[in-house]
Amino acid sequence: MAATELKKSRKRKVVEEDTPAAVSAFPHDVGLDMHSEDEGEDEGHAGSEDDGEVDDFPEIDTRSDSEDEEEDGSEDEEESASGSEDVEDEEEEESEVDTADDDLRIYPKPKTVISDITGQPKRVYPEIEADYDSDSSTEDLSNMNTPPWSQTPNRVGTIPMHWYDDLPHVGYDINGKKVLRPARGDELDKFLETIEDPNSWTTAFDKKAQMDKPLTAEELDIIRRLQENEIPDANYDPYEPTIEWFTGKGKEEVMPLSAAPEPKRRWVPSKWEKQKVMKIVRAIRQGRIVPNKPKATQPQFYPIWSEDTSTLHAPPPAPKPRLPTHAESYNPPEEYLPTEEERKKWEETEKEDRERDFLPQKYNALRLVPAYDQFIQERFGRQLDLYLAPRVQRVKLQINPDSLIPKLPSPQSLKPFPMYKSLQVPHEGHRVRTISVSPDGGWVVSGDEGGVVRLWEVMVGKEVKRWKFQGRVGAVEWCPRPDVSFFVVAIEEKLHFIIPPNLPTAVLTATQSLLSPATLPPQPATPSPVKWVSTAAAASTSDSPILTVNLPPSSGLPKQVVWHRKGDYLSTVSGEEGQGAVWIHQLSRRHSQAPFRKVKGSVQLVLFHPTKPYFFVATQRYVRMYNLAEQKLLKTLMPGIRWISSMDVHPSGDHLIVGGYDRKLCWFDLELSDKPYKILRYHSRALRSVHFHPTYPLFASSSDDGSIQIFHARVYNDLMTNPLIVPLKILRGHDVRDGLGVLQVRWCPRQPWLVSAGADGDVAVWCS
Amino acid sequence: MGRLKQKGKAGAAKAYMTRSTAVKKLQCSLADFRRLCILKGIFPREPRSRKRANKGSSAPTSFYYAKDIAYLAHEPVLKKLREHKAFAKKLSRALGRGEWSSAKSLEENKPVYRLDHIIKERYPTFVDAVRDIDDALCMIFLFASLPSTAKVAPSLVENCTRLASEWQLYVMHTHALRKIFLSIKGVYYQAEVMDQTVTWLVPYQFTQNIPADVDVRVMLTFLELYQTLLGFVFFKLYTDAGLVYPPPQDVEKDEAGAGVGAFHLQGATTSASSSAPKIKEVEINGKKVSTKDVRQTIKSISTSAPADADVDMPADDSAPMDEDEDFVPHPSTSNPDDAPALPTLKTLAALPQSGSSRLFAPYTFWLSRETSRPIFEFIVRSFGGRLGWPASSGSGSPFDESDESITHVIIDRPLIDRANMSEEEKERRRKRKYIQPQWVVDCINAGKALLEEPYLQGKTLPPHLSPFGEHAGAYDPTIGLTNEDAVMEDEDEEEVVEDEDGGHQEVDGESDEEALRPEEAALKAAATAEDEAALRAAELEAEAAGVDYGTFAKEAKKAKKAKQNKAQGKADGDAEQEMNKMMMSNKQRKLYERMKYSERKRTAERQNLEQKKIAIEKEKKRRVKS
Repeated sequence: MAATELKKSRKRKVVEEDTPAAVSAFPHDVGLDMHSEDEGEDEGHAGSEDDGEVDDFPEIDTRSDSEDEEEDGSEDEEESASGSEDVEDEEEEESEVDTADDDLRIYPKPKTVISDITGQPKRVYPEIEADYDSDSSTEDLSNMNTPPWSQTPNRVGTIPMHWYDDLPHVGYDINGKKVLRPARGDELDKFLETIEDPNSWTTAFDKKAQMDKPLTAEELDIIRRLQENEIPDANYDPYEPTIEWFTGKGKEEVMPLSAAPEPKRRWVPSKWEKQKVMKIVRAIRQGRIVPNKPKATQPQFYPIWSEDTSTLHAPPPAPKPRLPTHAESYNPPEEYLPTEEERKKWEETEKEDRERDFLPQKYNALRLVPAYDQFIQERFGRQLDLYLAPRVQRVKLQINPDSLIPKLPSPQSLKPFPMYKSLQVPHEGHRVRTISVSPDGGWVVSGDEGGVVRLWEVMVGKEVKRWKFQGRVGAVEWCPRPDVSFFVVAIEEKLHFIIPPNLPTAVLTATQSLLSPATLPPQPATPSPVKWVSTAAAASTSDSPILTVNLPPSSGLPKQVVWHRKGDYLSTVSGEEGQGAVWIHQLSRRHSQAPFRKVKGSVQLVLFHPTKPYFFVATQRYVRMYNLAEQKLLKTLMPGIRWISSMDVHPSGDHLIVGGYDRKLCWFDLELSDKPYKILRYHSRALRSVHFHPTYPLFASSSDDGSIQIFHARVYNDLMTNPLIVPLKILRGHDVRDGLGVLQVRWCPRQPWLVSAGADGDVAVWCS
Repeated sequence: MGRLKQKGKAGAAKAYMTRSTAVKKLQCSLADFRRLCILKGIFPREPRSRKRANKGSSAPTSFYYAKDIAYLAHEPVLKKLREHKAFAKKLSRALGRGEWSSAKSLEENKPVYRLDHIIKERYPTFVDAVRDIDDALCMIFLFASLPSTAKVAPSLVENCTRLASEWQLYVMHTHALRKIFLSIKGVYYQAEVMDQTVTWLVPYQFTQNIPADVDVRVMLTFLELYQTLLGFVFFKLYTDAGLVYPPPQDVEKDEAGAGVGAFHLQGATTSASSSAPKIKEVEINGKKVSTKDVRQTIKSISTSAPADADVDMPADDSAPMDEDEDFVPHPSTSNPDDAPALPTLKTLAALPQSGSSRLFAPYTFWLSRETSRPIFEFIVRSFGGRLGWPASSGSGSPFDESDESITHVIIDRPLIDRANMSEEEKERRRKRKYIQPQWVVDCINAGKALLEEPYLQGKTLPPHLSPFGEHAGAYDPTIGLTNEDAVMEDEDEEEVVEDEDGGHQEVDGESDEEALRPEEAALKAAATAEDEAALRAAELEAEAAGVDYGTFAKEAKKAKKAKQNKAQGKADGDAEQEMNKMMMSNKQRKLYERMKYSERKRTAERQNLEQKKIAIEKEKKRRVKS
C-alpha cells in the first residue's frame, strides 16, 4: 500500500516539476526525498524492475532480500534509541508522512505518541536514514526521477568509465555479472537517428549504460538555466528573507563589555593640540608665518659671468658640424648636380654609408625650394653625436705623405749594379733549378730538371760541354778553391765530382790528385753508409765524373750542396727528413758524417759561416746556428717567416738574410738580436733565392713573380751604424711558368754581374 | 718586494666605467642618466684598450670616465630628480585617492631644478658660452617653427620663438651678421659675436612635424639646457650692449604677425630711469642739464651723419631711445667717414667686413609677397637697409608700396608682360630695380653691392655659392678650369667657330707672341709642339717666319731630347720612390697609404667636377651653334 502511494506521489511530483519551481518546492522536495529514500529501499523487493532481476536469480533474491532487511534492521537498531518500538513507529510515521506530504516545513515534524511503557505522551521523530548519502538529495533524486526502465544495471560506481574502453563489457550488475556493452550503430546510424527521432536533441550519452538516454525535464531545465547564467538549482532562492538571530528589536546588547569608566580624553579637548595650534596662530599673528606666501623666486636670468671666473677650466667644446659647401646650395653650379648613376648609387647605399647626407639639387627660384625633409632627423643625429658618441682629441697630421718615404741615396750614385740582360742561355724545355759560377767568374754550370748539366762561358754564353744524367739535377756547385777546378752535381742519391775540360795541366793534375789520390786515406773506424767511389786519375776524363759519392739509399734528391770556404768540406741537404738529411763530407779524408742525430723540424737549408766554424741550419721556421768545433747550439734565429725558402750569409759573417715563401725577406744582424733587424716585403710572390755578392756591397733576391730585386747593402764595421739597405733595381725578363718564376740567382764573384735561372728554362746574365 | 698588483685595481679598469655600472652607481633610471649626461655634457670615452677597461670582455659597451660619474653623483640636479620621483609617487597617490587639496599643495611644492650652476660649470667664461651656442641656436630656431603637439608644449614653442627673436634683434642691432647661405636644407647664417663666429641654420618656413623615428625626449632635454644657456647669454649680450634684457614685447603687434617687430629694444638707462626716477642731472649755470641733453648736443655737433633712423628701432619709437642706442660705442655710426652716403667709393669697397656691415644703408627695399619676410627682414635690417612689406606678410611695415624712397623690390616671380600696366606702375618699374632674392645674399657674401643686371626679375640666376668655402685644393667653380688648354684643344678638334671667349684668348696669345721675334716664336713653337701634327704646323710656321729647315730641325730635336730626358728623369724618380717605399715600416706604410687614398679621392672628386664642367660647356656651345 505504501508503494502504490509512493508511486502516485512520484508521478504527481514529476508533473509538479514541469511547472515552474515554486519557492516552497525545496523543503517540500527534501522531505519527499527523504521519505522516498527510506521507502525506496523497502520497496526494493516489490518494485517492477527489481522484480525482473529477482526473476532472473530467485535463489539469490531471497537471500539478498533477507540481507537487506537484516541490514536495515541492524541499522535501525543502531540508530534508533528505542529498538523495540521500531516497527510500529515506522508504520505510524509513514501514515503521518503521507498526510503531511504537502505541508511546508523545514524539520521533520515530531509526532506525539503515548508511550507504551510510561503511558505518557512522547515526541517521536521520524527515522533518520543513516546511509552514506542520506543527507545528499541530488544524486538519489536523479536516480529516483529516472524512469524504472532506464535504471542502470551497471554497478561499477563513480569511476572513470574509460577504464572499460578496451573491454567488451562496461561494468557489473548487482549480481556481479558483466554488463555487456550495447551495440552502437555507426556514424550514419547516429545521424539518421538524429533526423528520425524528434527527441534526439534532448538525449545525452550515458557512459555507464553506454547508450543515449533522454534527458529529463529537470536536466533540461538545468541546462537552460546554465545557458542563461541563472542559478542551476531551480529551488534555490538567492533572496531569502534574513533571519535575525542576534540583532534587531529586542535583541540589543544592554550590558557593556568592560566595566571601566569612560576616560576623560573622550570629551576634554587636547591641551597639546591646543598648544601646537596656538603656536601657529601666534606665529601668524606676529607675521612669522605668511600663509600662501608667494615663494621667493630667484630671477630667471642674472649676470652669471659677472663674478670672477672660476678656477675650473672649460671642458673641450664639442666639435662643430661641417660647414655647408657649394653642393648644398639651392642654386649650385651645374657641375655639382649628380648624374643619373650617381643619384642611383646614392639612393642604393645605406643611409649610414652615404658620403653626403643630401643630393645636390637646383632650383630656379628661392620660392621653389621645399622644406628639407631630413631637417629634424639631422638635428637629432647631431644631438645623439653630442651625448652618445665617444670623443677623442686627435692631432691632425699636416704632413706631406711623400715625406714619409725614407730618403735614401740615389741608385745612380751606387753604381755598378746589374742593369740589363746581356745574354740568355736556353735549356730546352726544362726548368733550370740550379746554377753555379766558377770561383774565377768565367764559367757557369747550370743544371735542369731533365738531368742536363751545361757548362758555358759567362761573357758570350758559349756552351763548352754538356752532360746528361739520369733524373733531375738537384744542385750544382763549384768548388771554391782557386788552385783546383771542379764542380759537384747532385742527382738522386749521388754526388758526382766533375772536372771541366780544357784545364791547364797544373790545375788538372792538382784536381785529379785531390779527387782521386793515389793513396787513399785510411778508412774511418766506424763504417759510414756513404760510399766514395773514384776512377783512377789517369783514366778520368771530363765526360764522366772522376769521383762519385753514393749517399745512403732512399735518401732522395739532394736539394742543396754547400761548400765550405776552404773547399775541403761540403755539405748536402737531402729531401728526406730526419737524420739522413744533412751530411758533411770531407774531401781530403774521403769521409762523410751526419752532424745531427736528431733535428727538430725538417731541414730546408744549411750554410757554412764564411770565417768561423759555424754552421747555419734552417728548418721551416727557425734558423739555428751551431758551433761545429764545440758541437753546440749557439743561437736560434726567429724570422717569423712561414716558411723559409732561401738563406745567405754576408761575406763578413755578421749578417744573414732569409727569404720566405710568404714574400718576406728578413735581415738579421747576428750581433744584434734573434729577431730580424728589418723585414722587407716587396715581392708579390714567394721568394725563391737570395744571394750576397762576395765582393761588392750588393745582394739580390728572386721571386716567383718573375722579377729579381737588386739591393745595395752596405754594412759598417762600427757597431753603432745600422746597415744601409737601398733598393736599386728591379730586373724583369723571366717568364712565370706554372707559378714558378726565377728559381736561383748567383753573382759572378769578380764583376757586379748576376746570373739567374728561371722556370721558363732560361739562364740569363745581367750586366751593369 | 713591492706590493702585489691586483687585476682591476688600477689603470684602465679603474678609470673607466660602463654605462650600466654608472647607472647602478648613481641609483637612477637610464632615462635620468641620459638626462644628466645631456645636461652636464658628459659623453662616453673610447678607452685605448676596450678589453682592459671591461675586465677582459670585448663586448660592445660604452665607457664613461669613472671620475665623470663620481662627479655626477654629487649633482644637485640628480638630487632633484630623485625628489621628483618621490613627488610623482605622492601626487599619483593623492590623485588616485581623490585628495585634491593635498594634490594641489603637492603640485605647488613640486621640486624644480635649475641649470644655472651647470651653465657656469660648463662655460666658465662668457666666451666659452658664445663659442658653443651654434647648436643651441639651431634647435631654438627649429622649435620656433614647429607646431605645438602633445609632446611639444605651446609654451615651449612660444619661448623658443621669443629667444629666436631676441637673438635676431641683437644681431640686427649690433650688425654682427657676416655671411648667409641659402642651401637646400635651410638658411645658414654666420655672425660674429664677441669675436666668435656663430653659425646657425634656420629651416625654411614650412610646417614640419617631428618624425616618429626621432626621440622627442632627448630633444626636449637638450632644449631645456639650450633655453637656459641662451637666456644667460642673451642677458649678458643685451646688458653689455646697454639694453634691457627681456626686451618688451608688444602683444598686439605680435598677434598681428609682426614677428621680430613686436619686440622693441629698450636702452638700459631709460629703463633704469623709469623704474627709479633718478636721472643724472648736473646743474650748470643754474640750468639743469641731463645726460639726455648732453647727448643731444653731441649729436647736433656731429650732424654729418644723416638722419637715418636706426633700423633696429621701430620708427614710432621715441627719439631719445634712438640716441641712447647710438651713444653706445658704435664705430660705424660715430665715424663720419663711414656715412652711408659714401659706400660706393673704392676705398670703402676695399675695406673688410666692418665697412660692409652697413651695406644696404643707402637702399630701401620692398618685399614682394612671395618672398619670406622673416629671412629678408632679418638680413636687410642687419645690414642697415630699410624694408617694407605688404600687409599680407604681416603687420608693422614702416612704409607702403607707393613710397618714393624704395630703390629695390625683392621679387621672386617670373616676369610677365602685362599690357595694361598703369602709368604709375610703369614709372615705378622704371625707377625701382626688381631683383631676385639671391642678389641680397650674394651682395652680402661678396661684401659689396653687386651689379643688379644678372639678378633682375625673370633672369636665370648665376649659381649661388657657399661663402664658407671648401677645403684647400677642392674644385673652385669661380675660377674657370685649371686645364683651360684642354678645352681649347677640344675646341680646335671640333673646329668650332670661335666665339667671344676664344677670340679673346687668341688675341691674348698673339700679344704674348708679339713680344718675341717671329723666328724665335717659331722655334719656341717647335720646342713646345707635342705631337706630329703640331710639329708639322710649327714647321710651316717656321718656314713662313723665314727660319731655314736645318735650324728648325736641330731645335726640334733638341727640344725632343730635352723632353725625353725630362720624362726619363721623372720616371726614374718615380721608380726610385716606388722602390724606396719598400724600406718604410709597416706603420708608416699604412699611414702613407691612407693619406694617399684620401688624396686620390679628393682629386678624383675634383676631376669629376671638372669633367662635368667641360661636358656642360661643350653642350652649351653646341646649343649656341645649332
